[in-house]
Amino acid sequence: MLKVENVKKAFGGTVVLDGVNLTVNPGEVVSILGSSGSGKSTLIRCINGLEKLDGGRITVDEFDVSRPKELSEARKRSGTVFQLFNLYPHMTALQNVTLAPIEVLKRPKPEAEAEGRALLASVGLGDRADAYPAQLSGGQRQRVGICRALAMKPRYLLLDEVTSALDPEMTAEVLAILAKLAGDGTTMVFVTHEIEFARQISERIVFLEKGRLLVDLPTDQFFAPTGGMAQPRVAQFLSKMRKD
Amino acid sequence: MRYTEFTPFDIWLLAQGLGVTLGLFLATSLIGVFVGVLWGVVRFYRVPVLTQVITFVSEILKNSPVLVQLFLVFFGFPAFFKVNVTPVDAAIITLSANTAAFVYVIAVSSIESIGRDQIEAARVFGLTRWQVLRHVIAPQAAAFSIGPLTALLVNQLQVTSLISVIGVMDLAKIGANLNLRTLKPFIVWTVVGILYYLAAKLVAAVGAKLEQRLRAHSTFRGL
Repeated sequence: MLKVENVKKAFGGTVVLDGVNLTVNPGEVVSILGSSGSGKSTLIRCINGLEKLDGGRITVDEFDVSRPKELSEARKRSGTVFQLFNLYPHMTALQNVTLAPIEVLKRPKPEAEAEGRALLASVGLGDRADAYPAQLSGGQRQRVGICRALAMKPRYLLLDEVTSALDPEMTAEVLAILAKLAGDGTTMVFVTHEIEFARQISERIVFLEKGRLLVDLPTDQFFAPTGGMAQPRVAQFLSKMRKD
Repeated sequence: MRYTEFTPFDIWLLAQGLGVTLGLFLATSLIGVFVGVLWGVVRFYRVPVLTQVITFVSEILKNSPVLVQLFLVFFGFPAFFKVNVTPVDAAIITLSANTAAFVYVIAVSSIESIGRDQIEAARVFGLTRWQVLRHVIAPQAAAFSIGPLTALLVNQLQVTSLISVIGVMDLAKIGANLNLRTLKPFIVWTVVGILYYLAAKLVAAVGAKLEQRLRAHSTFRGL
Protein backbone atom coordinates (compact mmCIF):
# COMPACT_ATOMS: atom_id res chain seq x y z
CA MET A 1 0.00 0.00 0.00
CA LEU A 2 1.18 3.48 -0.84
CA LYS A 3 0.16 5.92 1.83
CA VAL A 4 0.36 9.70 1.85
CA GLU A 5 -0.60 11.13 5.23
CA ASN A 6 -1.18 14.81 5.88
CA VAL A 7 1.77 15.78 3.69
CA LYS A 8 2.88 19.41 3.70
CA LYS A 9 5.40 21.00 1.41
CA ALA A 10 6.34 24.63 0.84
CA PHE A 11 8.94 26.23 -1.40
CA GLY A 12 10.08 29.37 0.35
CA GLY A 13 6.85 31.00 1.44
CA THR A 14 4.71 29.26 -1.18
CA VAL A 15 2.67 26.40 0.18
CA VAL A 16 2.47 23.73 -2.54
CA LEU A 17 1.05 20.78 -0.62
CA ASP A 18 -1.21 21.58 2.30
CA GLY A 19 -2.12 18.43 4.18
CA VAL A 20 -2.63 15.86 1.44
CA ASN A 21 -3.94 12.40 2.27
CA LEU A 22 -4.00 9.64 -0.32
CA THR A 23 -3.96 5.86 -0.24
CA VAL A 24 -3.23 3.71 -3.26
CA ASN A 25 -3.92 0.00 -2.96
CA PRO A 26 -2.06 -2.60 -5.01
CA GLY A 27 -3.70 -3.13 -8.40
CA GLU A 28 -5.39 0.24 -8.36
CA VAL A 29 -5.05 2.99 -10.96
CA VAL A 30 -5.47 6.40 -9.36
CA SER A 31 -5.45 9.50 -11.53
CA ILE A 32 -4.56 12.88 -10.13
CA LEU A 33 -6.18 15.83 -11.87
CA GLY A 34 -5.77 19.51 -11.20
CA SER A 35 -4.68 22.69 -12.86
CA SER A 36 -1.03 23.61 -13.36
CA GLY A 37 0.57 24.62 -10.09
CA SER A 38 -1.91 22.68 -7.99
CA GLY A 39 0.89 20.49 -6.59
CA LYS A 40 0.44 17.32 -8.65
CA SER A 41 4.05 16.99 -9.73
CA THR A 42 5.31 17.97 -6.30
CA LEU A 43 3.22 15.19 -4.80
CA ILE A 44 4.89 12.67 -7.13
CA ARG A 45 8.31 14.14 -6.29
CA CYS A 46 7.54 13.72 -2.60
CA ILE A 47 6.49 10.10 -3.08
CA ASN A 48 9.74 9.16 -4.84
CA GLY A 49 11.83 11.09 -2.34
CA LEU A 50 13.05 13.90 -4.59
CA GLU A 51 11.58 16.50 -2.25
CA LYS A 52 11.86 16.60 1.53
CA LEU A 53 8.53 16.77 3.29
CA ASP A 54 7.80 19.71 5.55
CA GLY A 55 5.22 17.70 7.40
CA GLY A 56 3.30 14.43 7.34
CA ARG A 57 4.45 11.01 6.24
CA ILE A 58 4.68 8.98 3.04
CA THR A 59 5.13 5.24 3.16
CA VAL A 60 5.57 2.83 0.28
CA ASP A 61 4.75 -0.65 1.56
CA GLU A 62 5.56 0.54 5.09
CA PHE A 63 8.90 2.07 4.04
CA ASP A 64 9.05 5.71 5.09
CA VAL A 65 10.54 7.88 2.32
CA SER A 66 11.66 10.50 4.87
CA ARG A 67 14.03 8.03 6.52
CA PRO A 68 17.27 7.79 4.53
CA LYS A 69 17.66 4.12 5.42
CA GLU A 70 14.19 3.23 4.15
CA LEU A 71 14.19 5.51 1.12
CA SER A 72 16.21 3.16 -1.07
CA GLU A 73 13.82 0.32 -0.29
CA ALA A 74 10.84 2.60 -0.98
CA ARG A 75 12.41 3.66 -4.27
CA LYS A 76 12.90 0.06 -5.34
CA ARG A 77 9.16 -0.37 -5.03
CA SER A 78 8.13 2.63 -7.07
CA GLY A 79 9.11 3.50 -10.62
CA THR A 80 8.79 6.99 -12.01
CA VAL A 81 8.11 8.12 -15.56
CA PHE A 82 8.88 11.80 -16.08
CA GLN A 83 7.15 14.51 -18.06
CA LEU A 84 10.33 15.37 -19.98
CA PHE A 85 11.52 11.74 -20.19
CA ASN A 86 14.81 12.48 -18.35
CA LEU A 87 16.65 9.78 -20.30
CA TYR A 88 20.44 9.52 -20.09
CA PRO A 89 21.47 11.03 -23.44
CA HIS A 90 24.82 9.23 -23.65
CA MET A 91 23.27 5.80 -23.37
CA THR A 92 21.30 3.78 -25.89
CA ALA A 93 17.65 2.98 -25.27
CA LEU A 94 18.69 -0.45 -24.02
CA GLN A 95 21.38 0.96 -21.70
CA ASN A 96 18.86 3.44 -20.32
CA VAL A 97 16.60 0.53 -19.46
CA THR A 98 19.26 -1.80 -18.01
CA LEU A 99 21.37 0.65 -15.98
CA ALA A 100 19.35 0.47 -12.77
CA PRO A 101 18.63 -3.30 -12.90
CA ILE A 102 22.36 -3.99 -13.33
CA GLU A 103 23.64 -1.44 -10.81
CA VAL A 104 20.91 -1.43 -8.18
CA LEU A 105 19.38 -4.90 -8.39
CA LYS A 106 22.78 -6.42 -9.33
CA ARG A 107 21.22 -8.43 -12.15
CA PRO A 108 23.70 -10.16 -14.47
CA LYS A 109 24.18 -8.06 -17.58
CA PRO A 110 23.05 -10.61 -20.22
CA GLU A 111 19.90 -11.34 -18.23
CA ALA A 112 19.10 -7.63 -17.75
CA GLU A 113 19.72 -6.99 -21.44
CA ALA A 114 17.50 -9.84 -22.57
CA GLU A 115 14.74 -8.50 -20.35
CA GLY A 116 15.37 -4.95 -21.52
CA ARG A 117 15.09 -5.98 -25.16
CA ALA A 118 11.87 -7.84 -24.44
CA LEU A 119 10.44 -4.78 -22.67
CA LEU A 120 11.41 -2.49 -25.55
CA ALA A 121 9.89 -4.95 -28.02
CA SER A 122 6.67 -4.97 -26.00
CA VAL A 123 6.30 -1.23 -26.57
CA GLY A 124 7.15 -1.51 -30.27
CA LEU A 125 10.78 -0.45 -29.97
CA GLY A 126 12.38 -3.83 -30.61
CA ASP A 127 14.39 -2.44 -33.52
CA ARG A 128 15.39 0.78 -31.73
CA ALA A 129 17.14 -0.75 -28.72
CA ASP A 130 20.56 0.49 -29.83
CA ALA A 131 19.46 4.00 -30.75
CA TYR A 132 20.43 6.99 -28.62
CA PRO A 133 17.64 9.19 -27.18
CA ALA A 134 18.46 11.98 -29.63
CA GLN A 135 17.71 9.58 -32.49
CA LEU A 136 14.23 8.84 -31.16
CA SER A 137 10.98 10.77 -31.45
CA GLY A 138 9.33 12.16 -28.32
CA GLY A 139 6.83 9.31 -28.19
CA GLN A 140 9.58 6.75 -28.60
CA ARG A 141 11.62 8.42 -25.86
CA GLN A 142 8.71 8.30 -23.47
CA ARG A 143 8.17 4.63 -24.28
CA VAL A 144 11.83 4.07 -23.36
CA GLY A 145 11.12 6.02 -20.17
CA ILE A 146 8.26 3.66 -19.36
CA CYS A 147 10.44 0.60 -20.04
CA ARG A 148 13.15 2.04 -17.82
CA ALA A 149 10.66 2.26 -14.96
CA LEU A 150 9.17 -1.17 -15.66
CA ALA A 151 12.61 -2.82 -15.80
CA MET A 152 12.85 -2.35 -12.03
CA LYS A 153 9.61 -4.34 -11.63
CA PRO A 154 8.08 -1.63 -9.44
CA ARG A 155 4.95 -2.31 -7.43
CA TYR A 156 3.83 1.25 -8.02
CA LEU A 157 4.26 3.15 -11.23
CA LEU A 158 4.33 6.93 -10.79
CA LEU A 159 3.52 8.80 -13.97
CA ASP A 160 4.09 12.54 -13.95
CA GLU A 161 2.26 14.14 -16.88
CA VAL A 162 3.95 11.69 -19.17
CA THR A 163 2.20 12.90 -22.33
CA SER A 164 2.33 16.65 -21.71
CA ALA A 165 5.36 17.14 -23.95
CA LEU A 166 3.99 15.05 -26.81
CA ASP A 167 1.83 15.81 -29.82
CA PRO A 168 -1.56 14.02 -30.08
CA GLU A 169 -0.24 11.20 -32.24
CA MET A 170 2.66 10.44 -29.91
CA THR A 171 0.35 10.83 -26.94
CA ALA A 172 -1.83 8.09 -28.40
CA GLU A 173 1.23 5.80 -28.71
CA VAL A 174 2.08 6.25 -25.07
CA LEU A 175 -1.48 6.05 -23.77
CA ALA A 176 -2.01 2.76 -25.59
CA ILE A 177 0.86 1.29 -23.62
CA LEU A 178 -0.44 2.68 -20.34
CA ALA A 179 -3.89 1.25 -21.06
CA LYS A 180 -2.30 -2.14 -21.58
CA LEU A 181 -0.37 -1.85 -18.32
CA ALA A 182 -3.53 -0.82 -16.47
CA GLY A 183 -5.29 -3.81 -17.97
CA ASP A 184 -2.49 -6.07 -16.71
CA GLY A 185 -3.14 -4.91 -13.16
CA THR A 186 -0.16 -2.55 -12.77
CA THR A 187 -0.65 -0.15 -9.87
CA MET A 188 -0.41 3.38 -11.15
CA VAL A 189 -0.47 6.88 -9.81
CA PHE A 190 -1.23 8.85 -12.89
CA VAL A 191 -0.82 12.62 -12.91
CA THR A 192 -2.38 13.85 -16.11
CA HIS A 193 -4.35 16.34 -18.11
CA GLU A 194 -5.80 13.59 -20.31
CA ILE A 195 -9.18 13.51 -18.63
CA GLU A 196 -10.96 11.14 -20.98
CA PHE A 197 -8.11 8.68 -20.79
CA ALA A 198 -7.97 8.95 -17.01
CA ARG A 199 -11.66 8.17 -16.96
CA GLN A 200 -11.13 5.01 -19.01
CA ILE A 201 -8.30 3.47 -17.03
CA SER A 202 -8.72 4.74 -13.44
CA GLU A 203 -10.45 3.12 -10.52
CA ARG A 204 -10.28 6.41 -8.66
CA ILE A 205 -9.76 10.03 -9.49
CA VAL A 206 -8.51 12.66 -7.10
CA PHE A 207 -8.58 16.38 -7.70
CA LEU A 208 -5.88 18.67 -6.34
CA GLU A 209 -6.44 22.37 -5.95
CA LYS A 210 -3.90 24.72 -4.40
CA GLY A 211 -2.16 21.91 -2.58
CA ARG A 212 -5.33 20.48 -1.10
CA LEU A 213 -7.06 17.29 -2.09
CA LEU A 214 -10.51 18.56 -3.01
CA VAL A 215 -12.06 15.31 -4.23
CA ASP A 216 -11.13 11.63 -3.95
CA LEU A 217 -13.81 9.45 -5.55
CA PRO A 218 -14.27 6.29 -7.63
CA THR A 219 -14.15 7.26 -11.30
CA ASP A 220 -17.87 6.92 -12.08
CA GLN A 221 -18.80 8.99 -9.04
CA PHE A 222 -16.21 11.62 -9.87
CA PHE A 223 -17.93 12.36 -13.15
CA ALA A 224 -21.46 12.05 -11.74
CA PRO A 225 -23.44 15.28 -11.27
CA THR A 226 -23.93 14.46 -7.59
CA GLY A 227 -20.30 13.39 -7.04
CA GLY A 228 -17.20 15.30 -8.06
CA MET A 229 -19.14 17.47 -10.44
CA ALA A 230 -21.07 18.83 -7.46
CA GLN A 231 -17.88 20.69 -6.56
CA PRO A 232 -18.00 23.96 -8.51
CA ARG A 233 -14.21 24.03 -8.92
CA VAL A 234 -14.14 20.51 -10.43
CA ALA A 235 -17.05 21.23 -12.76
CA GLN A 236 -15.35 24.42 -13.91
CA PHE A 237 -12.04 22.62 -14.49
CA LEU A 238 -13.61 19.78 -16.44
CA SER A 239 -15.68 22.07 -18.64
CA LYS A 240 -12.60 24.15 -19.47
CA MET A 241 -10.47 21.12 -20.22
CA ARG A 242 -13.08 19.61 -22.50
CA LYS A 243 -13.54 22.75 -24.52
CA ASP A 244 -9.85 22.77 -25.47
CA MET B 1 87.43 33.08 -28.91
CA ARG B 2 83.84 32.08 -29.43
CA TYR B 3 82.39 29.47 -31.78
CA THR B 4 79.22 30.98 -33.28
CA GLU B 5 78.37 28.45 -36.00
CA PHE B 6 75.56 25.89 -35.65
CA THR B 7 76.68 22.27 -35.45
CA PRO B 8 74.74 19.02 -36.04
CA PHE B 9 75.05 18.44 -32.28
CA ASP B 10 72.76 21.45 -31.70
CA ILE B 11 69.90 19.46 -33.22
CA TRP B 12 70.56 16.75 -30.65
CA LEU B 13 70.54 19.38 -27.90
CA LEU B 14 67.23 20.78 -29.12
CA ALA B 15 65.76 17.27 -29.28
CA GLN B 16 66.87 16.70 -25.69
CA GLY B 17 65.32 19.98 -24.62
CA LEU B 18 62.08 19.08 -26.38
CA GLY B 19 62.16 15.71 -24.64
CA VAL B 20 62.52 17.34 -21.22
CA THR B 21 59.70 19.80 -22.00
CA LEU B 22 57.35 17.07 -23.25
CA GLY B 23 58.27 14.75 -20.39
CA LEU B 24 57.59 17.39 -17.75
CA PHE B 25 54.45 18.47 -19.57
CA LEU B 26 53.07 14.92 -19.69
CA ALA B 27 53.98 14.16 -16.08
CA THR B 28 52.55 17.40 -14.68
CA SER B 29 49.45 17.15 -16.88
CA LEU B 30 48.70 13.63 -15.68
CA ILE B 31 49.22 14.57 -12.04
CA GLY B 32 47.36 17.85 -12.50
CA VAL B 33 44.35 16.27 -14.22
CA PHE B 34 44.20 13.49 -11.64
CA VAL B 35 44.40 15.87 -8.68
CA GLY B 36 42.05 18.44 -10.25
CA VAL B 37 39.40 15.79 -10.98
CA LEU B 38 39.81 14.39 -7.48
CA TRP B 39 39.20 17.87 -6.06
CA GLY B 40 36.13 18.15 -8.29
CA VAL B 41 34.78 14.87 -6.89
CA VAL B 42 35.39 16.08 -3.33
CA ARG B 43 33.32 19.13 -4.16
CA PHE B 44 30.62 16.97 -5.80
CA TYR B 45 30.23 15.16 -2.47
CA ARG B 46 30.28 18.54 -0.69
CA VAL B 47 32.81 17.25 1.85
CA PRO B 48 32.82 19.90 4.58
CA VAL B 49 36.05 21.82 5.28
CA LEU B 50 38.00 19.95 2.59
CA THR B 51 35.89 21.55 -0.16
CA GLN B 52 36.54 25.03 1.24
CA VAL B 53 40.26 24.33 1.57
CA ILE B 54 40.44 23.13 -2.03
CA THR B 55 38.54 26.14 -3.34
CA PHE B 56 40.87 28.45 -1.41
CA VAL B 57 44.06 26.75 -2.64
CA SER B 58 42.75 26.68 -6.21
CA GLU B 59 41.93 30.40 -6.02
CA ILE B 60 45.48 31.23 -4.93
CA LEU B 61 47.05 29.06 -7.61
CA LYS B 62 44.86 30.51 -10.36
CA ASN B 63 45.35 34.13 -9.39
CA SER B 64 49.10 34.33 -8.91
CA PRO B 65 51.87 34.12 -11.52
CA VAL B 66 53.33 30.68 -12.14
CA LEU B 67 56.78 32.24 -11.93
CA VAL B 68 56.12 33.45 -8.39
CA GLN B 69 54.81 30.01 -7.40
CA LEU B 70 57.90 28.44 -8.93
CA PHE B 71 60.24 30.69 -6.92
CA LEU B 72 58.30 30.10 -3.73
CA VAL B 73 58.60 26.34 -4.17
CA PHE B 74 62.21 26.35 -5.33
CA PHE B 75 63.57 28.77 -2.75
CA GLY B 76 60.84 28.62 -0.13
CA PHE B 77 60.51 24.85 0.43
CA PRO B 78 64.22 24.38 1.33
CA ALA B 79 64.16 27.44 3.59
CA PHE B 80 60.93 26.73 5.47
CA PHE B 81 60.48 22.96 5.35
CA LYS B 82 64.19 22.03 5.28
CA VAL B 83 63.68 19.77 2.28
CA ASN B 84 65.98 19.53 -0.70
CA VAL B 85 64.19 20.63 -3.87
CA THR B 86 65.87 20.10 -7.24
CA PRO B 87 64.82 22.29 -10.17
CA VAL B 88 62.94 19.35 -11.68
CA ASP B 89 61.14 18.71 -8.36
CA ALA B 90 60.13 22.35 -8.14
CA ALA B 91 58.96 22.31 -11.76
CA ILE B 92 56.84 19.18 -11.23
CA ILE B 93 55.29 20.44 -7.97
CA THR B 94 54.49 23.90 -9.34
CA LEU B 95 53.19 22.93 -12.76
CA SER B 96 51.12 20.01 -11.41
CA ALA B 97 49.50 22.20 -8.77
CA ASN B 98 48.82 24.96 -11.28
CA THR B 99 47.27 22.55 -13.79
CA ALA B 100 45.22 20.95 -10.99
CA ALA B 101 43.77 24.34 -10.00
CA PHE B 102 42.49 24.98 -13.51
CA VAL B 103 41.36 21.39 -14.08
CA TYR B 104 39.36 21.72 -10.85
CA VAL B 105 37.43 24.64 -12.33
CA ILE B 106 36.76 22.69 -15.53
CA ALA B 107 35.73 19.59 -13.58
CA VAL B 108 33.30 21.53 -11.39
CA SER B 109 31.66 23.29 -14.33
CA SER B 110 31.47 20.05 -16.35
CA ILE B 111 29.81 18.22 -13.50
CA GLU B 112 27.38 21.08 -13.04
CA SER B 113 26.58 21.14 -16.76
CA ILE B 114 24.82 17.78 -16.52
CA GLY B 115 21.06 18.32 -16.31
CA ARG B 116 19.54 17.85 -12.87
CA ASP B 117 16.67 15.95 -14.45
CA GLN B 118 18.84 12.99 -15.46
CA ILE B 119 20.52 12.89 -12.07
CA GLU B 120 17.12 12.89 -10.38
CA ALA B 121 15.97 10.08 -12.64
CA ALA B 122 19.01 8.00 -11.72
CA ARG B 123 18.53 8.69 -8.00
CA VAL B 124 14.85 7.75 -8.21
CA PHE B 125 15.82 4.37 -9.65
CA GLY B 126 17.98 3.80 -6.60
CA LEU B 127 21.46 4.52 -7.91
CA THR B 128 23.84 5.72 -5.21
CA ARG B 129 25.61 9.06 -5.51
CA TRP B 130 28.76 7.25 -6.61
CA GLN B 131 26.90 5.21 -9.24
CA VAL B 132 25.28 8.38 -10.57
CA LEU B 133 28.71 10.02 -10.80
CA ARG B 134 30.26 6.99 -12.44
CA HIS B 135 27.57 6.10 -14.98
CA VAL B 136 25.59 9.26 -15.65
CA ILE B 137 27.73 12.29 -14.85
CA ALA B 138 31.31 11.23 -15.58
CA PRO B 139 30.89 10.06 -19.20
CA GLN B 140 29.03 13.22 -20.16
CA ALA B 141 31.20 15.56 -18.11
CA ALA B 142 34.29 14.04 -19.73
CA ALA B 143 32.93 14.78 -23.20
CA PHE B 144 31.95 18.27 -22.11
CA SER B 145 35.30 19.06 -20.51
CA ILE B 146 37.60 17.81 -23.23
CA GLY B 147 37.45 21.08 -25.21
CA PRO B 148 38.37 23.42 -22.34
CA LEU B 149 40.84 20.83 -21.06
CA THR B 150 42.67 20.72 -24.40
CA ALA B 151 42.84 24.52 -24.47
CA LEU B 152 44.20 24.51 -20.92
CA LEU B 153 46.87 21.90 -21.67
CA VAL B 154 48.01 23.68 -24.83
CA ASN B 155 48.50 26.74 -22.65
CA GLN B 156 50.22 24.76 -19.89
CA LEU B 157 52.65 23.41 -22.47
CA GLN B 158 53.78 26.97 -23.19
CA VAL B 159 53.88 27.72 -19.46
CA THR B 160 56.47 24.95 -18.98
CA SER B 161 59.00 27.29 -20.61
CA LEU B 162 59.03 29.28 -17.34
CA ILE B 163 60.88 26.50 -15.56
CA SER B 164 63.98 27.30 -17.58
CA VAL B 165 64.63 30.22 -15.20
CA ILE B 166 65.43 27.87 -12.32
CA GLY B 167 67.80 25.88 -14.51
CA VAL B 168 65.77 22.97 -15.86
CA MET B 169 67.29 22.04 -19.22
CA ASP B 170 64.06 22.22 -21.17
CA LEU B 171 63.54 23.46 -24.71
CA ALA B 172 63.50 27.13 -23.68
CA LYS B 173 66.71 26.76 -21.66
CA ILE B 174 68.48 25.00 -24.54
CA GLY B 175 67.26 27.80 -26.80
CA ALA B 176 68.68 30.40 -24.40
CA ASN B 177 72.04 28.60 -24.30
CA LEU B 178 72.23 28.27 -28.08
CA ASN B 179 71.32 31.90 -28.42
CA LEU B 180 74.10 32.96 -26.08
CA ARG B 181 76.65 30.91 -27.98
CA THR B 182 75.62 31.64 -31.56
CA LEU B 183 74.26 35.18 -31.11
CA LYS B 184 71.64 34.37 -33.76
CA PRO B 185 68.39 35.01 -31.83
CA PHE B 186 66.10 35.08 -34.82
CA ILE B 187 67.14 31.65 -36.03
CA VAL B 188 67.30 30.04 -32.58
CA TRP B 189 64.00 31.39 -31.26
CA THR B 190 62.20 30.74 -34.54
CA VAL B 191 63.24 27.09 -34.43
CA VAL B 192 62.36 26.82 -30.73
CA GLY B 193 59.03 28.54 -31.40
CA ILE B 194 58.23 26.12 -34.23
CA LEU B 195 59.01 23.15 -31.99
CA TYR B 196 56.63 24.47 -29.27
CA TYR B 197 54.04 25.12 -31.97
CA LEU B 198 54.24 21.58 -33.33
CA ALA B 199 54.05 20.10 -29.84
CA ALA B 200 50.99 22.25 -29.08
CA LYS B 201 49.35 21.16 -32.33
CA LEU B 202 49.94 17.55 -31.36
CA VAL B 203 48.23 18.11 -27.99
CA ALA B 204 45.29 19.81 -29.71
CA ALA B 205 44.98 17.00 -32.25
CA VAL B 206 44.92 14.34 -29.52
CA GLY B 207 42.26 16.39 -27.70
CA ALA B 208 40.12 16.70 -30.82
CA LYS B 209 40.35 12.97 -31.50
CA LEU B 210 39.35 12.17 -27.92
CA GLU B 211 36.45 14.59 -28.04
CA GLN B 212 35.15 12.98 -31.21
CA ARG B 213 35.12 9.61 -29.50
CA LEU B 214 33.53 10.82 -26.28
CA ARG B 215 30.82 12.71 -28.12
CA ALA B 216 29.89 9.80 -30.38
CA HIS B 217 26.35 9.75 -28.99
CA SER B 218 25.59 13.32 -30.05
CA THR B 219 27.26 13.51 -33.47
CA PHE B 220 24.07 12.80 -35.38
CA ARG B 221 22.26 15.75 -33.83
CA GLY B 222 23.27 17.66 -36.91
CA LEU B 223 24.20 20.79 -35.00
